[in-house]
Amino acid sequence: MTQRITIDPITRLEGHGKIEIFLDEKGDVANTYFQIPELRGFERFCVGRPVEEMPLLTNRICGVCPEAHHMAAAKAADMVYHVDPPRTAKMLRELLYSAFYVTDHATHFYALAGPDFVMGPNAPVAERNILGVIHKVGLEIGGKVINARKAGHTVIEMIGGRKVHPCTSIPGGLTKGITKEQRDEILKLGQWAIEFAQFSLKLFNDIVLGNKEYVDLILGDIYTHRTYYMGMVDENNRINFYDGKVRVVRPDGKEFVKYAPQDYTQHIAEHVEPWTYLKFPYLKDVGWKGFTDGVDSGVYCATPLSRLNAADGMATSIAQEEYDKFYKTLGGKPVHQRLATHWARLIELLYAAERWVELASDPEITSDNFHTKPTEIPTEGVGIVEAPRGTLTHHYTTDERGLLTKVNLIVGTTNNYAPISMSINKAARSLIKKGTVVTEGMLNMVEMAFRAYDPCFGCATHSLPGKMPLQVTIRDAQGEPVEVLKQFC
Amino acid sequence: MTKTLVIGLGNPILGDDGVGWKVAETVKERLDAESPSRVEVDCLSLGGLSLMERLLGYERAIIVDSMATGQIPVGSVRTFPLASLPDPMAGHSGSAHDTSLIIALKTAESIGADIPKRVDVVAVEAQNVYDFSEELSPPVAAAVAEAVQVVFDLLQGAPHDLT
Repeated sequence: MTQRITIDPITRLEGHGKIEIFLDEKGDVANTYFQIPELRGFERFCVGRPVEEMPLLTNRICGVCPEAHHMAAAKAADMVYHVDPPRTAKMLRELLYSAFYVTDHATHFYALAGPDFVMGPNAPVAERNILGVIHKVGLEIGGKVINARKAGHTVIEMIGGRKVHPCTSIPGGLTKGITKEQRDEILKLGQWAIEFAQFSLKLFNDIVLGNKEYVDLILGDIYTHRTYYMGMVDENNRINFYDGKVRVVRPDGKEFVKYAPQDYTQHIAEHVEPWTYLKFPYLKDVGWKGFTDGVDSGVYCATPLSRLNAADGMATSIAQEEYDKFYKTLGGKPVHQRLATHWARLIELLYAAERWVELASDPEITSDNFHTKPTEIPTEGVGIVEAPRGTLTHHYTTDERGLLTKVNLIVGTTNNYAPISMSINKAARSLIKKGTVVTEGMLNMVEMAFRAYDPCFGCATHSLPGKMPLQVTIRDAQGEPVEVLKQFC
Repeated sequence: MTKTLVIGLGNPILGDDGVGWKVAETVKERLDAESPSRVEVDCLSLGGLSLMERLLGYERAIIVDSMATGQIPVGSVRTFPLASLPDPMAGHSGSAHDTSLIIALKTAESIGADIPKRVDVVAVEAQNVYDFSEELSPPVAAAVAEAVQVVFDLLQGAPHDLT
């Protein structure tokens, strides 16, 4: 009897998406599909708009990482106008972006990843959330998470003009700078953020690395794929979220290519499947060989783990110590175990906090030279930043008036669509076997395969009361449901 | 009157999903015409922890949103306490990148944060929440006035209908 298992929509995943697991007549997994059934069309309806509006328009793509779109759009618009912002403007943008990273990575760890490890993958679903985490580990953690978010939002508002959707980046820099008083407050908040990041890494060390069961889970084959890895690096091949070149390393860790943002089309192509709206980017020079890993497959990954793998190290001192410990503990570079992404994310959290303080300490950060007036005729530009969920590319072409004639976006999660699909497939095949009773905990472990990527498919619409966060339907060969599992979280 | 926040939730460019904003904007116009009050109005596209953070410091909140049950006529207006929402991750109360509003509020409460003592939801049954449009469908547009009145009734102490 052929069975079909549907996870729709996926718990704790932004936007619409569902997992279909098809079983063969024996009861083993025949295939899996991770579908994105919505088309948002941002690239189309931005055509005709002035390019300087893009930092405002594209940060509305989603409420999760508007800061990433704001920055990529601003950088692309700089290039369209052939203008190089002053050093202070670049530092302020990166400072805002570092504070954003602290809020975003902290939220992911405590609200999404944490419940799986602190409460356990098989814990009752009603307890597998941030509330369960703080009840188990300590109330003070809840306060720290809320303070970390508040600190980040304060900086974002000071530099970006608004807490959620920043509005101050324009071609050539920013519309405003910061005062010395604001700098002092930003510095103080950043120093607290470093302590918070170190606290979070200690928590991970104690709860996850101190538990053999979890270490075995991380190092096991279920969540392992050997792919290429992508991440932005500075001139010393150290991680940078805001600026630099995109570096790709092979599955053996050796550099495959390093390219400037404007050259991305020479290296990245997109594969189309008929069962989903989202395309699958791959490395052009390797080629699309299907949903498979290894050196001969053009599938690459762009995540916190990928960024660590693609770089030679971190650009700040304490994060570098954690980077060294990471690879020493996990057996050297590159690390292929996808669940290690959660650890990598915390190392990035620490780097972001250190970078925040480093930038705020620069004497030029309060300079009033925060904008260079564009004087050239606008043409074409590419802006790339590292979004928390992966390399984010904005590519604009305009007419001589600066009105957009073409827009192409490769968002963070899109890079990871193929690896996420592969990880779901592997986890499902490993966990669901002939004669297995499919439990909620088992399905959560399938979800963990993609939660490590922190996927985001854009928040389109969710109306009350919405669908169940997780629904599993097992159907017989005639398509009739024989069992339905639902969960509330 | 207690310090109250009225929030219109939704995406204003996704058709009926923008009804929360339309209702909140109308509530604000009426409030502005009245004497100074302790009621603030905001329009947001947030969920989870971010939405909870916006509610801190208020004694009471009213959230206006669209709903799509498919079980009542389009344009129907319902009101209920947030805590009675059957699915905590439903609608804009949930954000997949953090947690649900209900869990976020419980989290804040557990650490002693100043959360509202009462959170009510006013929901309008929607027809089209997927296609890009800045316009509401006619039956939903026609329900805006009723939803506005429900918000004012709640502000003046009306009980929930719980239907």
